[in-house]
Amino acid sequence: MISTSVRIAAPPEVVFPYFTDPQLLVTWIGDRADLDARPGGTFAVDFGDTAARGSYVAVEPPHRVVFTWGIPQDPTLPPGSSTVEVVLVADGGDTIANLTHRDLPPDREPSHREGWERCLALLAAAVCQ
Amino acid sequence: MTPEPEEPEAPAGPDAVLRALADPHRREILRLVQHAELPAGQIAAHFDLTQQAVSQHLTVLKRAGLLAERREGTRRLYSLRSESLQPLRTLLDEFWPDAFARLKQSVEQAHPRTEERGPT
Repeated sequence: MISTSVRIAAPPEVVFPYFTDPQLLVTWIGDRADLDARPGGTFAVDFGDTAARGSYVAVEPPHRVVFTWGIPQDPTLPPGSSTVEVVLVADGGDTIANLTHRDLPPDREPSHREGWERCLALLAAAVCQ
Repeated sequence: MTPEPEEPEAPAGPDAVLRALADPHRREILRLVQHAELPAGQIAAHFDLTQQAVSQHLTVLKRAGLLAERREGTRRLYSLRSESLQPLRTLLDEFWPDAFARLKQSVEQAHPRTEERGPT
C-alpha cells in the first residue's frame, strides 16, 4: 500500500476536478487522459508509451474519488487490479488531499521478482513525465 | 593512483538506473531476462538490431547494475539482478508523492489566493 497527502491552498471544490477533468488531470499526471468520471466510467491516462487503465468506482464531489489502476502491459498489475482512493478534506480555505493506493502486488522483497514488471511500468511512467 | 576497476558490482544510483531504463529496447531486454538467464545471441534474436547495438544496450544495463553476466564456455549469459530493484522501489514510493507535489503546484498556480486585504 502506498499513501501520501499534501496540503493545497485551495478549497476541495477547486481541487476535485483535477481528478475528473482530463485537461486538469494532465497538468499533474500523465500527458494524455480519457476520463468518464462516473462509477464504471473509464479512467485512462497515458505516460509516454506507458498506459494506466482503470475505471472510476466512486465519484463524490467534492470530497472523494476512487478509481482502479493497472498497466495493460504488466501481468502483475492488470487494469482494475489495484485501487486508488483520494479523499479531499477541507481545512480552513485549504484542502488536505489524501491518496491511498491499495492492492498493489507484494514487492517489498527485492527478491520478489513478480514485482519487477510493475516497477518497470510505473517507473517508465515516472520517467516519461 | 590505482585505476578504478570496472564496477558493475557497486550498486548503481537511481540516476544510472533511470538512464538505463529510458530506452524501450533496454526495457524489453530486462523483460526477456526477468525469469530466464539468456545468452546474448538469443537476446539479440528478439530485436531488429545489429548484434553490436544489442551488445551496447547490454553494457549500459550491466553498468547500471541491472544485469548480471555469467560466462559459460564461450557464451555469456545474462539475467536480471534482483538487488537492483531497491533504488527502483524507492522511486516507486515517490511516484504518488511526486504527482501530488505537481498537483499542488498546478492548482495553486491556476488559483492564486488573492492577498488578504481588509474590505474596501
